[in-house]
Amino acid sequence: MNPLHKELANAVVAMDEERAVAAANRVVAEGLDPYLAITEGLSAGMRKVGELYDSGEYFVPEILICSDAMNAAIAVLKPHIKADATRKPVKVILGVIEGDIHDIGKNIVKILLDAAGYEVIDLGRNVKAERFVEAARAAGGGIIGLSSLMSTTLENMARVVRGLKEAGLRGDFRVMIGGASASARFAAEIDADGFGRNAKEAVELADRLSRSLPCARTQ
Amino acid sequence: MRQDTMTPKERFTAFLTGKPMDRFLCVPLILNHAARVNGVKVGAYNRDGRLMGQCHADAWRRYGHDLIAIFSDTAILAEAMGTGLDFQEDDVPLVERPAVSIPGDLSRLVTTQAHTLGRLPLFIEAVRVAVAAVGSEVPVSCCVPAPFTTAACLRGTDQFARDLIRNRVLALKLLKLSTATACDFANDILDAGGIPVVVDPVATGSVLSLRMFEEFAQPCLKELHGAISRRGCPAVLHICGQTSRILDAMVGTNANLLSLDDISMAEARDRVGGRIGLMGNVRPTQTLLKGNAEDVTREVRTLCDIGRGCARGFILGSGCEVPIATASRNIDAMMSAVQEYGQMK
Repeated sequence: MNPLHKELANAVVAMDEERAVAAANRVVAEGLDPYLAITEGLSAGMRKVGELYDSGEYFVPEILICSDAMNAAIAVLKPHIKADATRKPVKVILGVIEGDIHDIGKNIVKILLDAAGYEVIDLGRNVKAERFVEAARAAGGGIIGLSSLMSTTLENMARVVRGLKEAGLRGDFRVMIGGASASARFAAEIDADGFGRNAKEAVELADRLSRSLPCARTQ
Repeated sequence: MRQDTMTPKERFTAFLTGKPMDRFLCVPLILNHAARVNGVKVGAYNRDGRLMGQCHADAWRRYGHDLIAIFSDTAILAEAMGTGLDFQEDDVPLVERPAVSIPGDLSRLVTTQAHTLGRLPLFIEAVRVAVAAVGSEVPVSCCVPAPFTTAACLRGTDQFARDLIRNRVLALKLLKLSTATACDFANDILDAGGIPVVVDPVATGSVLSLRMFEEFAQPCLKELHGAISRRGCPAVLHICGQTSRILDAMVGTNANLLSLDDISMAEARDRVGGRIGLMGNVRPTQTLLKGNAEDVTREVRTLCDIGRGCARGFILGSGCEVPIATASRNIDAMMSAVQEYGQMK
């Protein structure tokens, strides 16, 4: 592993924004590929952060600070990425379904998907099924991630899938669901494509689902 | 079917004084669901104290549960201190504009007499209405958002979570101000004849590490529980979600009773049941909302078996709020199952 990539990853895990920015500046000064610095350095760091969250060492405050460090470094690197070197990222339309306001879990998923190279379109919380369908029409294809902690809202998840079908968009999207009230069985019931138990599983699921998209991810 | 021989109030008093009871207390946390019992929109319920109190009295007449719990949402103290909420027609309000979105806003926070502002007087009215209507037969409680949860609503949860690492001074200031308002509100509830129940959904083990819980949430809870205990009332603490990691620290808040959600009750009994009373934890979504009466009965029966081993007392409860759309027959099944299987020995 390139030592600067390693330094970027370590700075993210150590929640050290200054160190991450300093390492990003060195990547630019030394003329290294800024895109690789993100995917091999910062994203690798966030993957490690995801593992630490999964194993109960890091919690929400730690993840937020790590992602702040990552984003500060990305802000340094991004202007130096050449347009042709940018791989076209898969879009993920993400939101907490109408009727629910718990968005901590969704925000963690967003951070990890961002770090994994997805283009996340965050619709926020308490989002109506129709808005997911509108966003899908605008995006053209990709993944839709629905989150809900409250069982009262499960029916609204089914409405998103039905809405996609009615709009003729179902084939262009993979639908994944998460949150305490959802389950793999429920995903199958409403004809979604998968269920993620936690943020780490959500990213793994997105990776798996994006490979089966009509315009598979180019990496 | 066995018949009750005590009123909820008699049973509750017996529980607190360690006297014999005809069966376990049964407390499905009927909160916003009370609006449904009366066919009232949740948005109307949570902005009208008289209506809220009536809904809870009527819900009690309908279900006969052992504790009325008056509640709308956990942002009520933050709202009184300056956070703006977005009210929904038939659901709970959402935090829309945190009062301290930048640290400089701290000076604008309402800190004196905040317990008389926002919707707080409305909850006190609801307590009075419910106590006047049915208080001779059933105890009436009202939820007090814990300081950690209130601070998160004052600052925005994400930003407050960052402050715990980056701006401890601000986090501690917010916690201190939130604690003062919570103590005042708890005293108002007691003055109105109600029992304060402290709820701290943000300080759950799925969001916070044990270390952070001990550093930030526990000291404020201790202070609040102390204020409640000094009035001769038991301190009840409810934390939603996964609390296995912070269970011992919850006991360390000097509460008398822990209301638990997503944790094995057998584990809780074995770890802390000898030191503190436990309440819970029929699964709100899986069982009460999505299950049928048989599922509810089965789970209640198992929990009662576990509860008999709780040395400091056990109350059969729901893990968290009974979902608004829960079918009445499942709440009835919960009550019947405790009558049938909830004998103490």
